[in-house]
Amino acid sequence: MSNYEIFKPQTVKEASDLLKNDGYMPLAGGTDMVVKIKNGFFKNLKAVVYVGNLPFNKIINENNKVIIGSGCTMEEIATNPIIKENYPTLVEAANTVGATQIRHMATIGGNVGNSSPAGDSIPALYSLDAQVLITNGTSQRTVDIKDFFTGPGRNVLQLGELIEAFVLPLRKTTGRFMKLGERSALAISKINLALSTWEDGKKHYRVALGSVAPTVLRSKKAEEILENAAHPLTEEVIQKASEAARETADPITDIRSTKAYRKQMAGVLLRKALEK
Amino acid sequence: MKIIFTLNGKKVETETTAQTTLLDLLRHNFKLVAAKEGCGKGECGACTVFLNNSPINSCLKLAATLNETDSVVTVEGLEDDKLMQKIRQGYTDEGAVQCGFCIPGMTMATHHLLSHNAKPTLSEIKTALAGNICRCTGYRKIEAAVKNAADRGE
Repeated sequence: MSNYEIFKPQTVKEASDLLKNDGYMPLAGGTDMVVKIKNGFFKNLKAVVYVGNLPFNKIINENNKVIIGSGCTMEEIATNPIIKENYPTLVEAANTVGATQIRHMATIGGNVGNSSPAGDSIPALYSLDAQVLITNGTSQRTVDIKDFFTGPGRNVLQLGELIEAFVLPLRKTTGRFMKLGERSALAISKINLALSTWEDGKKHYRVALGSVAPTVLRSKKAEEILENAAHPLTEEVIQKASEAARETADPITDIRSTKAYRKQMAGVLLRKALEK
Repeated sequence: MKIIFTLNGKKVETETTAQTTLLDLLRHNFKLVAAKEGCGKGECGACTVFLNNSPINSCLKLAATLNETDSVVTVEGLEDDKLMQKIRQGYTDEGAVQCGFCIPGMTMATHHLLSHNAKPTLSEIKTALAGNICRCTGYRKIEAAVKNAADRGE
């Protein structure tokens, strides 16, 4: 491994100041970072800033919002009573990450900060209208999850900024998270899909697709078809929505899958999510 | 740099570097060699240990990130643990140990499962052990060993 230093800041300000230095990178659960460090992926790595001691590890319910600390592990999210009660899509997504050992280490902040188009928690967060709470130790700002990513591995975080939490509107949703990988554990998604629905007099649908474009995409067309349809959904509506999801997907061919297969599967995953 | 943490119930102090993983620290500084490096990237589970009672891949944990309040437990630390003794008996009775390389990790994952779910279904066993790979492919016997351990009385 390369010759880097390690810092363990105890305050957000301290972490933020460290991260303003060139070649300093944040490390949370380390499930992705440590592998990349071992492989020499970061050519310019000068220091690792361990953010695991920052106070970002709570899940709280206040003012009609659920705030998920960025340092919460996938296991903490999947077993938290507030999340289980309100966001089954996020529970399923967290439960498909890695395997038991990985889920006890990997954090949601790391998954989002990593900004892979295949990150499993990301479509779930899109489907739940999440906002990203960003801090630099002195001030905070909030961006919609859909505006957070700027490309594969890229996001709007400025030097010295950290993800503090994810803020979700408190509402009782139902939904599914679907993932296609080489095997059911420890696989990076070839394609994934999050479907969340809720009712407030009207039935709302959110359909988000991962690994089908440089960033996660919502299929607004599929959502519209589903929201305007009578319930229960007919086969014709499901067919139309699936076609819309397929049209939304704009994937590439890479080591994990092909463009054609991913596009086809976008429709199949939505159909399966709706039929379950 | 110096780190302090609790290892198998005892407070320990040792020297490490920013590059050392918890797995390497356990094997080199403490000569605890049950946890093994299979893949070194969190896919095989041979390096599974408990950090604050949670199973983790010790090959992905940088030793320098350990805090004084952290508690690490390895297979060696569960020598007198009642549940681990049942698990060991279960693995022995079912002939689930072939080359043995994956077994410390398998038994740690099994311990985590059975301490949270005393009577798991086959599907729950498979999910709990999905992060552990056996290159002898002795999965049927390993599943039977977990069942055997779960069915054992006190």
